[in-house]
Amino acid sequence: MDPYSAEGELINIHNHFHQGQFPEVIDFDTSSLSPENALPARVLQLRARIALGQADDVLADIQGETDAHPELAAVAALAELALGRADEAAEKVEKLVQSDAAGENATVQVLGGTVLQAAGKSEEALALLGKHQGSLDAVALIVQIHLQQNRNDLAVKEVAAARRWAQDSLLVNLAESWVGLRLGGEKYQQAFYVFEELAQAPATSSVRTLVSQAVAELHLGRTEEAQAALEQALKKEPEHADAIANLLVLNAITGKDITELTSSLQKTDAEHPLLTDLAEKSDLFDKAATKYKAKVAAA
Amino acid sequence: MQASSGMLTKFESKSSRAKGIAFHPKRPWILVSLHSSTIQLWDYRMGTLIDRFEEHDGPVRGVDFHKTQPLFVSGGDDYKIKVWSYQTRRCLFTLNGHLDYVRTVFFHHELPWIVSASDDQTIRIWNWQNRSLLCTMTGHNHYAMCAQFHPKEDLVVSASLDQSVRVWDISGLRKKHSAPTSMSFEDQVARANANQTDMFGNTDAVVKFVLEGHDRGVNWVAFHPTMPLIVSAGDDRLIKLWRMSETKAWEVDTCRGHFQNAGGCLFHPHQDLILSAGEDKTIRVWDLNKRTAVHTFKRENDRFWVIAAHPEINLFAAGHDNGVMVFKLERERPASAVYQNSLFYITKDKCVKSYDFQKGVESPTLLSLKKLGSPWVPPRTVSYNPAERSVLVTSPAEGGTYELVNLPRDGSGAIEPTESKRGQGNSAIFVARNRFAVLNTSTQTVDIKDLTNNTTRSFKPPVGTSDIYFGGTGNLLIITPTAVHLYDIQQKKTTAELAVNGVKYVVWSNDGLYAALLSKHNVTIVTKTLEQVSTLHETIRIKSATWDDAGVLLYSTLNHVKYTLLNGDNGIVRTLDQTVYLVRVKGRNVYCLDRAAKPRILQIDPTEYRFKLSLVKRNYEEMLNIIQNSSLVGQSIISYLQKKGYPEIALQFVQDPATRFELAIECGNLEVAVDVAKQLDRPKLWTRLSAEALAHGNHSIVEMCYQKLKNFDKLSFLYLTTGDNAKLARMAKIAEHRGDFTSRFQNALYLGEVEDRIQMFKEIDLYPLAFATAKAHGLEEECQSILEATGLTEDQLNLPTFGQPLTPPKPVVPTHEANWPTKATSQSVFEMALLGQVEGLSLEDEPAAAKADGEEDGAAREGALAEDEDEDGTGWDMGDDIVPEVEEGFVNVESADAGGAGSSEADLWARNSPLAVDHVAGGSFETAMQLLNRQVGAVNFAPLKPRFLEIYQASKTYLPASAGLPPLVNYVRRTIEESDPRKVLPIIPRDLEYLASNDLQRGYDAMKANKLEDGLQIFRSILHSVLINAVGSDSEVNEARKLISSASEYTVAMSIELARRALGAPNTVNADPALQKRSLELSAYFTIPKIEVPHRQLALLNAMKLALTSKNYNSALSFANRILANGGAAKILENVSFSPPITLINKHHQARRTKAQCERNPNDAVEIEFDQFAEFEICAASHTPIYSGTAHEECAFDGSKYHSKYKGTVCVVCGVCEVGKHGSGLKLFA
Repeated sequence: MDPYSAEGELINIHNHFHQGQFPEVIDFDTSSLSPENALPARVLQLRARIALGQADDVLADIQGETDAHPELAAVAALAELALGRADEAAEKVEKLVQSDAAGENATVQVLGGTVLQAAGKSEEALALLGKHQGSLDAVALIVQIHLQQNRNDLAVKEVAAARRWAQDSLLVNLAESWVGLRLGGEKYQQAFYVFEELAQAPATSSVRTLVSQAVAELHLGRTEEAQAALEQALKKEPEHADAIANLLVLNAITGKDITELTSSLQKTDAEHPLLTDLAEKSDLFDKAATKYKAKVAAA
Repeated sequence: MQASSGMLTKFESKSSRAKGIAFHPKRPWILVSLHSSTIQLWDYRMGTLIDRFEEHDGPVRGVDFHKTQPLFVSGGDDYKIKVWSYQTRRCLFTLNGHLDYVRTVFFHHELPWIVSASDDQTIRIWNWQNRSLLCTMTGHNHYAMCAQFHPKEDLVVSASLDQSVRVWDISGLRKKHSAPTSMSFEDQVARANANQTDMFGNTDAVVKFVLEGHDRGVNWVAFHPTMPLIVSAGDDRLIKLWRMSETKAWEVDTCRGHFQNAGGCLFHPHQDLILSAGEDKTIRVWDLNKRTAVHTFKRENDRFWVIAAHPEINLFAAGHDNGVMVFKLERERPASAVYQNSLFYITKDKCVKSYDFQKGVESPTLLSLKKLGSPWVPPRTVSYNPAERSVLVTSPAEGGTYELVNLPRDGSGAIEPTESKRGQGNSAIFVARNRFAVLNTSTQTVDIKDLTNNTTRSFKPPVGTSDIYFGGTGNLLIITPTAVHLYDIQQKKTTAELAVNGVKYVVWSNDGLYAALLSKHNVTIVTKTLEQVSTLHETIRIKSATWDDAGVLLYSTLNHVKYTLLNGDNGIVRTLDQTVYLVRVKGRNVYCLDRAAKPRILQIDPTEYRFKLSLVKRNYEEMLNIIQNSSLVGQSIISYLQKKGYPEIALQFVQDPATRFELAIECGNLEVAVDVAKQLDRPKLWTRLSAEALAHGNHSIVEMCYQKLKNFDKLSFLYLTTGDNAKLARMAKIAEHRGDFTSRFQNALYLGEVEDRIQMFKEIDLYPLAFATAKAHGLEEECQSILEATGLTEDQLNLPTFGQPLTPPKPVVPTHEANWPTKATSQSVFEMALLGQVEGLSLEDEPAAAKADGEEDGAAREGALAEDEDEDGTGWDMGDDIVPEVEEGFVNVESADAGGAGSSEADLWARNSPLAVDHVAGGSFETAMQLLNRQVGAVNFAPLKPRFLEIYQASKTYLPASAGLPPLVNYVRRTIEESDPRKVLPIIPRDLEYLASNDLQRGYDAMKANKLEDGLQIFRSILHSVLINAVGSDSEVNEARKLISSASEYTVAMSIELARRALGAPNTVNADPALQKRSLELSAYFTIPKIEVPHRQLALLNAMKLALTSKNYNSALSFANRILANGGAAKILENVSFSPPITLINKHHQARRTKAQCERNPNDAVEIEFDQFAEFEICAASHTPIYSGTAHEECAFDGSKYHSKYKGTVCVVCGVCEVGKHGSGLKLFA
C-alpha cells in the first residue's frame, strides 16, 4: 500500500510537508511508524529542516549514512543546493542516478529532480522524474517544471492524468491550482478555493498556504483581501521572502510606495527572483534608453 | 409507486377500534369515537387525552365538531344521536328517531342542522336548536352508510350498501325553515301546503341523482370542497370519482388498488389529491387529475376504517383497529438557506426564490425545480453556495435524490435549469466552495464531490448515520440517532463526538462559533468543536431556530418563539398563531417562512433577552440603554435578576415598595431601604432594617429604626456602645417619664449614676437594694438616710462582702458623631452608570457605529471637501478650491491581436497589445520605447524609469510551490475573467481613475498650499504615469487627454511662478528695474495657463498685489477685473455654500477696493510685456508669450507650446519627448 495514500501512515506528515507546515513535520512523532516507513518519514523531516534553513545541520546529521541509503545521498545533494552550491549538488545527483537502483527510488527522483531543476538542468530533471511509479511528489514537481518552462499545455496534461488515479489528494489539488493560476479565468477562483481552504483551516494553515491564498486573491483583483492574507502571513513569519515579495507586488499594483518593502526584501533574500529580475530589467532599461536622444541637447 | 415515505405521523393513540373521527376546526383536538362505546377527546399536539364521554350504549360510529359552537354530535349503535357540550363536558340532549344503528352524523356548515345516516335505510336531517326532526330521506333500500352536507350548496350526498350513491336536493327544506322575511299571502299558503307530502312522503328533500357504478355496497362518500366532484369508497375495493352538473351526474374514473373493502375516502382540502382508507391496512393517496396512485401507507396489523381531514391545516387522521393516527402527507417545512442578507427558499410549487432581508423584497422566481423528484414530493433541503451561486437541493423522492443547479444571475419567471447535476443521496450539503458531501443512508456512505459531480473521495460514516450537516470548514457534522459526530473530511475520522438523541437540525451561529442542535424536544448548544454549552427541554415540539447577531438563539416551537442564551437561560419572546420556520433575526424583526413557504416578518420585543444577555456579559452600558429606553418592568425580570444575584439591578425596575425594600436589603442599599421603610412605616420593616444596618455598622440608621420601633432597651445599649452619654441621659429621662423602672435602672447603670439608681430603688421601696448599692459605692450618708428611713440599724443587716463598685467605661472616642466604618455597599458599576458617574459612557456611540459604510465613505468624502474649503489657502491665505469630478467606471480592455502559445505570458502581452504599457509590463522595454518614440516622439527615457519598473514589478506574483525550488511566477492580469491567452493583458498600477482621484488631488493640494516644487514633481509624475498607461474605452481616452493637458498646464504655471521666485527676494527684485519688470511679467504670465479657476484666482491675486505694490495700476485693475469676472461670486459661493467663505469675501472685497483705487489712476509705472487684451500662450521653455498667429512648436505628448527655436530639444514639461517631433499620437486604448 502506498504509505502516502489517505489510509497510509505517512499521510499526515506528508500533508504537513506540502502544506508548508515544516515545524509540524519536524515535531511529528515517528516512533510509532512501521519500520519501512521510518526512512521516508526521516527524509521528509530532513527536507523540512532544509526548508527552514538548517541545511548545515542536516549535512552533519546524515554524514556517513549517504553511501548506505541513496535517499540520504539525495538529501545531501538537496542540502548542498540549499547552501548555494547548485553545481556540486547537480553533480552529486547525476552520479547518484547512474546506478539503476537509485534511479528507480522515488525519493531520489524527487530530490534529484529538484536539484537538477534548480541547477537549470530542466531536461535532465524531467527525464529523471519521468521514471516515477505513481509518485505524486514527482507529478507535482513535473508540473512545476513545466510551468517554469511555460509549457502550460504539458502541465495541464500532467495534472489531468494524475487526477485520474490520485483523485482528491492534496498534491493533485495543489498542482492543479498552480496550473490554474497560470491559466486564469475561472481557474483563478478554483485555485483560490483550494488555497483558502488550506490557509483558513487551523489544522492546515501555514505561511505558505496564506501566501498562496493571497496570490490567488491578487490575481482575482481582490487587493484588500490579498493584503489581509499577506499581513496575516507576515505576522506569523515576518521574514518570509515570498510574502514580502508579493506584498511588494501588491503595493505596486495599488500605487503605494514600495521602497521600504524593497529594502526589507533585499535584507531577507537578496537573491529573490523579484530582485534579480528587477536588476536585470533596470540594466536593460538603461541600455535601451541610450539608443534615443534629442536632436538638440537641452540648453 | 412510492412507498410510505412522505407520510409523517404526528400522533398515535392506542384504543379499541376507532370508527369515527373529527378534527376541531381551531384547536389541536381530535374526537375519536370507538367501537367500545367511548368517545375520546385528544390533544394531538400534546399527545394527551383531554376527556372521555361515555353515555352511548354500544359502538359509536359517527362524531362531528360544530364549526363555531362548543358542541359536538355523535351517533351510535344505540340508535341515538347525542349532542354534547365539551365545555360542560356532558351530553346536552339526545335525538331519538332512527330505528337502527346510526352510521354517520354531521353538522351543517351554517344552519343549525345535523344530517345522519342509519341502517334503517333513512337519512335524517335534524334541527339541534329546537331538537326536532326536520326531514327523513328515504330511497336507499339497504343500510345508509354515510351522508354529508355539501359545503356550500343545498345538497346532501349519501352512500348505501344498496351499491348506490345518491345526491339529494334539500333547497326546499332550507326555504321552508329559513326565517321568513316578507312573505306574501300566497307564499304563506304555499308554505303551509308544502308540508303536504308527495306520494312518497318527500317534498323537502328530493333525490337529484342516483349514481350507480359500484358493484358492492358503498361505505363512504364525500363532496369536493370547491369543484362539482364526488368521491366514494365501496366494498368492491374501488374508489370512484364522480362529476355532476346542474342536470346530471356521471362516473369519471375509478382508482384501483385497494385489495380489501375501502371504508373511507375524501378529497384533499387544498391539493388535487384523493385519500382513501381500506381494510387492506393501507391508506392510499391518488392524483385527482390522473387517478394514479401517489403514495401508499401500509400498517402492519390494523385495518383502516375511517379517514378525516383537518379543514384548515395539512393534517389527516385515520381510524384503525387499534386506535387513531394523525398524519401529514408531506413535510411542510420549506427548504431554505440563508446567506448574508439573502434567504433562498423553495416555494410550494417548487420554485427557487430569494428574499432580501434588508429590502424586504421577494425576488421573482429564480429557477423552477418542477422536474426534481416526483410531483407530489416537495424538496427537503437546499444548500446554497455563494461563490458559485448555485444551490444543492435534496428530495426524498425515489429513495432520495439531490440536484446541483446554478442560479441565474437575475430571475425572470420560471426558468428550467439549463444544466443540472443529480444523483442518489439522502442529504447533500456544501462543505467547501467547490465541494459538497452526499450521504446515502442505504449504503451508509458519504461521498465528497466536486462541482462537476465527480466523487473525489468517499468514506463510511459512523454506523446508523441518518443525516449530515456542515461542520465548519473541512468538517461535517454527522448525525446518528443517538449521537452527533464532528468528522474531519481530510483525515477521514471523527474528531469529536457528543451523545445527543434524535438531532434533526443543526443551526450555526452567524460567527460560526456555536451551533444549535435541534431535536424534537431539545435544543443543545455546542461549540464548533462539539463541546456542549447548554441544553434545554421543551414539551412542545421544536420547529426551527436562528441566531441573533449577539449570540442569542431564537427558536420556534409549534406555538411560540422563544430565546435561549448560551448559559441556558430561556424565555418566551412571543406566541405564534401558526407554525413558522425562523430563518433570521435582525433587531425587532424575526424573519421566517410560513408553511405556505411565504417569507414573513414577525415583530418581537428583544428587550428581555438583550437585557439578560448584557447582564451575562456585564455590558452595563447596554443595560442602561435598555432600562432608559424601554419599558422593561415586570415581575419576571425582577425575579430573574434577583435569582441571578443582581438585586441591585432589579432594584432599578421595581416600583412596588415592599419588593423594593426586599431588594434594597438584599443588595445592602440602605438609603433606598430607609426611604421605603419611611414610606411604609411598618415595625417589621424597621426591625429588618435595623438588623441589616447594624450588620453594616451604620448605627445612625440603627438608631432611627430603634426610635421608630420605640425599642428603648436596644436604643440605650446602642447609645452606650457608641458612647453617646447625652442621649443616654435623655433615655434615662424618658424612662423616668414612662415610669419604666427597669429601663431607668439600666440607663442609670450605663451612665454610672449611682445616686440615680439609689433614688429609684427608694422610690420603688427596694430599700435593701438601695442600701446595698449605696454601701457598695461607699455612699455612707446615703446609707444612713436609708437606715433612718427604714428604722433599721446596720447591725441588723446581713450584707455580703462587696467588691469594687462597677463603673461603666468612659467613651474615649465619640463614635456616635459619625458612623462606624460601614460595610461597602454593593453599588455596582451599573448603578453608577445609572447615576451618571461613569465617565466616557456615551450612549451615542452606537448609532454612529451603526452608520452604513457607504454613508461613511460619502461623509468622509464630503468631509474632505469641507476641509478643503476650510483649510483653503493656508499657504496663500486666499482663494478656494474646486475638486473636479472624477469619472468613474473602467471597462475591461479588450484586444484581439493574434498570438501563439508556448511562451511566457509576459511575451504574450507584448504580442497582444499595441500599447506601450503592455510591453513595459511584459518586460519588453525596447519595444515599449520604440512605440513611445513613434507615438509621441519620446527620446529622453530616463525620467520614465520609475514608471517602467513600477509597472514591471506589479506584473508578476511569486507562488511558493515545491520546497527547494524558486517560487512559481504568475502574471497578474487586468483581464481577470479572460482565459484565452490571445486576449490576456497585464494589470496596470495607477490607472487613470487612481491618478485622477489621488495624484491629481495631491497636486491641487500642493498648489493650494503653495508648495510649488512638490506640485511640479507631482504633475510631472502624473504626465509620466499617463504616458504609460491603458484605459478601457474611447471616452476614457478623452479623460486621459484632459488629465494630460491639465497636468501640463499646471506644470507650466508652476514653473513660471517658480522662475519668478528664483529672481530673488522682493527687495532685491524691486531694486533692479530689469528684475522688477521680469517679475511683473512672470506674475502676469502665471495667470495665463488654464488651471482650475480657484487656483487661477490665486495667481491673479498674486499678480494684482505685485502690480499694486509696483504701482502698475492699470495691470492691477485688469487683474482685479478678472478676479471679479472669474469669481462670479454666486458661482463660487455655490461651491462653498456651507462654510462662510471669509477669505473669499475678503478676496472680493480686496479686488473691489483695488479696482476702485486703480480706476482713479489707470496707469502702469513699469512697462511690461503683457498685453491683457491680446491672445497668447506661454512658451514653456522661455516663459515668454507666443502670440496667437505666430509660428510655434508643441510637445506631441503634453501639448505644451514652444517658440520655434526650441524645436528638437527635450520638452521641459514632460521631460521625455522631443519638441516639435510629431508622432502617430499616444495610444492608450486598443
